[in-house]
Amino acid sequence: MNFHETFFILLAAIIMIFSVLVVTTDKILRAATYLLFVLLATAGLYYWLQYEFMAAVQVALYAGGIVVLIVFSVLLTHQIHHKLVSITLTRKLLAFGIAGLGALVSIVTIVNYDFNTAPAEAMKVDVRQIGLHLVNTGHNGFALPFEVVSILLLAALIGAITIAKKEESNSDNI
Amino acid sequence: MYDFSQLTQAIHLFLVQHLNSSSVAIVELVLVGLLFLTMYAILGLTLVYMERKVCAFIQNRLGPNRVGPLGLLQTVADLIKLLFKELLMVKKADKFLFNLAPFIVVIASMMTIGALPFAKGFQAIDLNIGLFYIISITSLGVLGILLAGWSSNSKYSLLGALRSGAQIISYELSVSLSLLSIIMFTGSMQLSVIVESQANGWWIFKGHIPVFISFLIFLIASTAETNRGPFDIAEAESELTAGFHTEYSGIKFAFFFLAEYMNMFLSAALAATVFLGGWMPFHVSGFEGLNQVMDFIPPIVWFFGKTFTLIYVIMLFKWTFPRLRVDQLLTLEWKYLLPINLVNTIVIAFVVVMGWYF
Amino acid sequence: MGLTEILTMSHELALIAALIILLISEIFSDEKSKYKFIPLAFALILGAGVVGLIFGKTGIIFGGMYQNDALRMAMKLILDLATLIVFLQSTEWIKHPHNKNRVLEFYLLVFATLIGMNFMISSGDFLMFYLGLELATIPIAALAAFDRLKNNSAEAGIKLILSSALSTGLLLYGLSMIYGTTGSIYFSEIKELITLNSLSMLGMIFFITGMAFKISLAPFHFWTADVYQGSPIAVTSYLSVVSKGAAIFIFTFVLYNVFGATSAIWTQILVMLSVITMTIGNLFALRQQNLKRFLAYSSIAQAGFIMLGILGQSAIGMGSVIYFLLIYIFSNLGAFGVVAIISAQTGKETIADYRGLYATNPKLSLALMLALFSLAGIPPVAGFFGKLFLFNAAASQGYYWLLFVAVVNATISLYYYLLPVKAMFIEKTDSPIATFKAKPYMALSVAICMVGLVVTGFASVIFEYLVSVSSGL
Repeated sequence: MNFHETFFILLAAIIMIFSVLVVTTDKILRAATYLLFVLLATAGLYYWLQYEFMAAVQVALYAGGIVVLIVFSVLLTHQIHHKLVSITLTRKLLAFGIAGLGALVSIVTIVNYDFNTAPAEAMKVDVRQIGLHLVNTGHNGFALPFEVVSILLLAALIGAITIAKKEESNSDNI
Repeated sequence: MYDFSQLTQAIHLFLVQHLNSSSVAIVELVLVGLLFLTMYAILGLTLVYMERKVCAFIQNRLGPNRVGPLGLLQTVADLIKLLFKELLMVKKADKFLFNLAPFIVVIASMMTIGALPFAKGFQAIDLNIGLFYIISITSLGVLGILLAGWSSNSKYSLLGALRSGAQIISYELSVSLSLLSIIMFTGSMQLSVIVESQANGWWIFKGHIPVFISFLIFLIASTAETNRGPFDIAEAESELTAGFHTEYSGIKFAFFFLAEYMNMFLSAALAATVFLGGWMPFHVSGFEGLNQVMDFIPPIVWFFGKTFTLIYVIMLFKWTFPRLRVDQLLTLEWKYLLPINLVNTIVIAFVVVMGWYF
Repeated sequence: MGLTEILTMSHELALIAALIILLISEIFSDEKSKYKFIPLAFALILGAGVVGLIFGKTGIIFGGMYQNDALRMAMKLILDLATLIVFLQSTEWIKHPHNKNRVLEFYLLVFATLIGMNFMISSGDFLMFYLGLELATIPIAALAAFDRLKNNSAEAGIKLILSSALSTGLLLYGLSMIYGTTGSIYFSEIKELITLNSLSMLGMIFFITGMAFKISLAPFHFWTADVYQGSPIAVTSYLSVVSKGAAIFIFTFVLYNVFGATSAIWTQILVMLSVITMTIGNLFALRQQNLKRFLAYSSIAQAGFIMLGILGQSAIGMGSVIYFLLIYIFSNLGAFGVVAIISAQTGKETIADYRGLYATNPKLSLALMLALFSLAGIPPVAGFFGKLFLFNAAASQGYYWLLFVAVVNATISLYYYLLPVKAMFIEKTDSPIATFKAKPYMALSVAICMVGLVVTGFASVIFEYLVSVSSGL
């Protein structure tokens, strides 16, 4: 086992341990923090695969974006003495049983599958390449999804505003 | 001349001769880690000293002048004091998160230093997405602040954290967008490439008006992103005691303090690297004599000279402008900086396509 | 790629333009002119349909990410029509003082979901499919929670978003497995490369599970009843008709055109899902007294019948599914329309409240009766032909025992579809719902549904056209 493999095992262990902690802790903000560690370790895996751009995206979007939003909304809605409703033992066992069974089936299937692997040269992913793929309208181009995502974000914003909007408009103007 | 990589290469060869590959990697990691940690600590102490001197200068005082010559050892004494102070623990605080928060903040600021090119070859890791890496890591720091505010179980901390969260999330956009302008010019996010591209002139001169606008926006937005005055509503002493770190004491408080100064250093260093040529000397194409003279000044002097000039400007901001209200702060970002920035980005795209830069 | 190629997606572009026009018109509106959005939205949805009809053309653009053909164009027009009917039915509800600040948002969100469905229907790869699905789902959660001050509605929003998050997770996990085995996200390439092996089958099962959540096939239907009951009626009808229709369409298409080589596996899964769905949907619908909930459960059962058509695995199968969807839209929206009219007027929603309705409001009663007959599949109403063709498609592949189960279930459904009819026409009560005149928009929507039912039922050319543009396995 060399340095490289040790690193993978370390990252994988972080991901697994904290993933379990995310769903078992009884404090919501701790769950968010554990999720942060999971996402950071995933970014580490991308980095380990020498895919730095994806690693940075993972950190910026998930750790720096989504977890911050989760934590922010917890801060607005949740107080420190609140605890999540504890789950009965039978439910816990059931959930773990089903999740474990699902994981087992997936793992066995994936491990037994004979992936069509071939050694490939390391791709150089520079900004220019990424940019060109994003605006490419041909095969393997991502111009259309890129634009549709913008509509998706717009719709999500409108949806969020609809739910959060004040009921009375004439109350006060800040 | 002044190429750091010769030195690092020599050390590397020496290690390779005597150790196997895994050990080489570990020894080098330790060496680099020690070097950067030391630098981090020294820079932090220097910045605190500088802040107090600048503040004193503006307020017509002398500032620290008792411990050591010119008060130079004052911050070291402060550090020792902080190290010996009792670590207070708030009852009913979430202990795990309370203790974790300062580390997130300080690690996030520490991780970014490694990607900065201090001089030619003096860079811990030259990622091909260096700029993006720095942007993404800095966005982690806010998590520490949010966690600190919530886990302290104190209203001041919570309010400070909420304000800080809203502020940092907003201003991050402007920071990233203004850096994007230079990425469009260079076509690369690798910091060493960005510095090399300024060998015949810094971007702030080569890219003229639009880059100057980006530079100004970056300076304003990064000041806000580091929670410094006049954008320091997150810790506004007069209303929130000390904001998100009200409940912290001793070395944990020092971590927040240190991280704030190092983030300021990072913003200044990033601005210097991206807009002002980093360690690149001041060159004017055509004036060979001048260029030769400039080349004699070591790159590391250039880098720190530019960075500390910018830090001085950021400190002037803090001590001269009044603090903004939270709504003014968000208005500034969302209604002024961001639209200007977006238009500016389009202008720059146009400039780049037409080749209207030097 | 040039302008002419972009015009292939003129329907989507028209809808996006409509969305932007609505957004901009908000800037120029004030408190009083809020309700001018209502006719504007009608005009825009009609306009989008007309633009799609005139300028739309078949073709594959964006390197295979987007494809359009006659069947898809027909499906998009059907969805437009259904959305228009939902808009007409929602006028009274949206004019309620509670919603006065959020009139425009309703239309914006519906348009956004419609854009998502259109992209989903036209997707040529799993990325666009996924994005379209998300765009068609996330705004609906906001719509379900539209009456957010009512606990029911807020609950509906939360349940919808959580269950769709779970189902999307399963779906994506499955798609990642399929990508792992074939190395492509394009439908056309996967179709060539997919083989019958354990990993790609697991991926396909996850995909079917995810879609089963969206279409609310049993045993993945648990979210449906609460969401349908809690949401505003307009949203419930939109959810149970338009989104379900779009999801069923793309589900059928992907099964035929991507997983065609593995049909031996998925037909078995669909047979099981179909039997469970029909039975559970019927059993639950039997016990419902609230008409909204009743229609929700009956729509689960209807989805089970639709699976029969998919099992046909031929152009006739696909055509019969689309044809049934068309009829289902008219009959279900007709029923929802009547329920919405009565609920808006009197606030009464249970079957018992409808006693003696024929004596006081004969037109509404007849409309509801026609819609329910069609849902039940009683000849000679359109729904009968729809079910007949579905059964026919399944029979062509020899699923006789499945047909037997379906016929038994259809008979059970007759019973509960006739319960409201019995209440309206036969049962007497001292205090029936008083005679009233329905609001013109609402009445118009029900009238469109009734005309649609008659026309689709008797004009065989529609079914023939749909089959002719469909494609089989």
